[in-house]
Amino acid sequence: MSTTGPPADLGVIDDTLAVRIRGLRRTFGETVAIADIDLDVPAGAVFGLLGPDGAGKSTLIRMLATVLTPDAGDAEVFGHSVTREAALVTPRIGYMSQRFSMYPDLSVSENLNFFATIRGVSRADRRTRSKALLESMGLAEFTDRQAQFLSGGMKQKLMLATTLMHEPDLLLLDEPTTGVDPVSRREFWRILAGLHRAGKSVVVATPYMDEAERCTQVAFIDKGAIGESGTPEEIKQRVPGQLVEVVAAEPRAALAALQDVPGVASPHLFGDVVRVLWSDAVAPVQPLAAALAEAAIADVAVRPIPMDMESVFAFLADTRAPAAAGSLEGGES
Amino acid sequence: MKAALVRIGAIVRKEFRHLGRDSRTLLAVVITPVIQLLLFAYAISFDVEHVPTIVIDFDQTTQSREYASLYSSSPFFNVVQHGSSMSDVDAAFDANSARVAIVIPSGFAKSLAAGEQAQVAVLIDGSEPNAAKVSQAYSVALNQLYSQELTRDWADAQGLDLSSLGMLEPRVRTWYNPERRSSDFLIPGLMIVIIAIVTVQQTAVTLVRERDLGTQEQLEISPMRRVELMVGKLLPWTLIAFLDVALITGLGRTIFEVPLRGNFWTLAVGAALFVFASLGMGLLISAIAPSLDTANIIAMLVAFLPSFLLSGFAFALDQIPTWLAWISYAFPARYMVTISRGVFLKGAGFTEVWPELALLSGYALVMIVISSVLYGRRSSR
Repeated sequence: MSTTGPPADLGVIDDTLAVRIRGLRRTFGETVAIADIDLDVPAGAVFGLLGPDGAGKSTLIRMLATVLTPDAGDAEVFGHSVTREAALVTPRIGYMSQRFSMYPDLSVSENLNFFATIRGVSRADRRTRSKALLESMGLAEFTDRQAQFLSGGMKQKLMLATTLMHEPDLLLLDEPTTGVDPVSRREFWRILAGLHRAGKSVVVATPYMDEAERCTQVAFIDKGAIGESGTPEEIKQRVPGQLVEVVAAEPRAALAALQDVPGVASPHLFGDVVRVLWSDAVAPVQPLAAALAEAAIADVAVRPIPMDMESVFAFLADTRAPAAAGSLEGGES
Repeated sequence: MKAALVRIGAIVRKEFRHLGRDSRTLLAVVITPVIQLLLFAYAISFDVEHVPTIVIDFDQTTQSREYASLYSSSPFFNVVQHGSSMSDVDAAFDANSARVAIVIPSGFAKSLAAGEQAQVAVLIDGSEPNAAKVSQAYSVALNQLYSQELTRDWADAQGLDLSSLGMLEPRVRTWYNPERRSSDFLIPGLMIVIIAIVTVQQTAVTLVRERDLGTQEQLEISPMRRVELMVGKLLPWTLIAFLDVALITGLGRTIFEVPLRGNFWTLAVGAALFVFASLGMGLLISAIAPSLDTANIIAMLVAFLPSFLLSGFAFALDQIPTWLAWISYAFPARYMVTISRGVFLKGAGFTEVWPELALLSGYALVMIVISSVLYGRRSSR
């Protein structure tokens, strides 16, 4: 270490990192929920944690939120340890758990005010911020409605508004849009985009691959371990080949026909179209159309499309555990 | 410090909002005590009066009628029927129309006239032991009275002056509750049962509910300390418990004319300590109960039953089996019943009940410490 530089324990904080995870581990009985992971989340990122149910997303987020104690390793939030300096971490984070965790018998404004008060937000700030937040989220006309009578999307927006009242720098969102209708999901992400522009850091867990596209960075997590990570573009480029979409009257028959064609990798159903990765040097349309014609499948349209996260996920799942591919197919879109 | 008070205030306000919007709980903590009070004081009275009585007079003489009139003129017996055969007794007992039967055999008057011992049969329906016991005592007393009268008549007839004869006349007085009214005895105890239910049950549930709702996690990541949460949770229930104490004392004094002979402040301090001890028990349950239902059942077991059965409220503690009496020491209700009855009926003050007050303070302290430790362990999963 340089003698002229400040000693590390003076609390000099690398403010380019919102989260720095080293060797973090947590088990529940025999189950390893998080297996010794390292991960960095740059400040200002919208960081997507992608993975199926039970992958360890919630466990990771709850440890970052200091509500769950790690078995080993540590994580820093803006340079403060979540295990040793929780009191310095919590004022800077907003944590939104996967399930609705507001008081159902209190109104929107009562919930908002209560949590802001115990978070130490002054009365004046509570008034201005709740007004602004409720208006920007389209909840202004529901301020007096009890939380139990809100729709799913409104409940999620209320939770988000509540986590924003004390103006945290890092938002930890655990599947904020699961079970929410597509319109509300889009609106929720519009709000997140606004927060991103305002300079907030966001760690968001999601099982939806289309939401991954909206993140500045993503990491795949499965069985408690981090797989691929990077920007969505980087990750897409790591998948070799060209994504090809095959529209057919009988997609399952088409999928079967394409299974063993040379040059085809990771064929999977996406809704009611077939998607394959074409890794041959020649253009994909002719050989695929020929293979389908050979199998007597008529009325097909074959076209190359840009890579998307959905297919990246399917491909990654295929290469890692072929048997699991089916269960990961087709999130909502 | 100011920030802490603001946070505690937020919890207190929130708890009152929950309560205000939950009509069932509101009913349970305000209306139930009143209903219980009325039920206990009116319906479940241990007072024995106007016991329905059937008289069967096989003798049918002036003397036998005179003897029977002892019962009809007594406030304790209410002669509802005059039967003519023993089967009438069976019928009346079966139909519950009478609980006591007075059978005067034929030859009653003749025996008396001959100076022999006349016999009457007093049959008592024992299916209600309390009434049976009291009826027996009363009829024995009536018979003694009658015997004395007969003796005096006989002495007069013989020209003897009995006043020169030494006789023993016991004068039995019941202290503290001379009329032995059961409301005087029940209401000071009932207060304890009601406080125990309100405080233990509600606190047992209130923390578990935060866990169930998931709001616990949000509270954990706020700067609020655990003790602030505890205080904020306990304050509303302390207030409500005191409201119940005031309500029961007020109704007891006005409607049931229960005397408050002792030092009011002794009662207030005792009630406060008992409330804290009960709240501590509630918190302890909250700390260990995995679900709302379990919390409710445990609360029922440790609040209602001991304060009802093992406190001296319903059964005198020296009348229950020794091992149960030992268990009763583990619950705060027995100390509070002693304090409450002492103050209400015996005119006690701090000098008389300080040992119980000290025990209650210790109990409250231990409970709140244990539950804080356990609750903390539980929440740092």
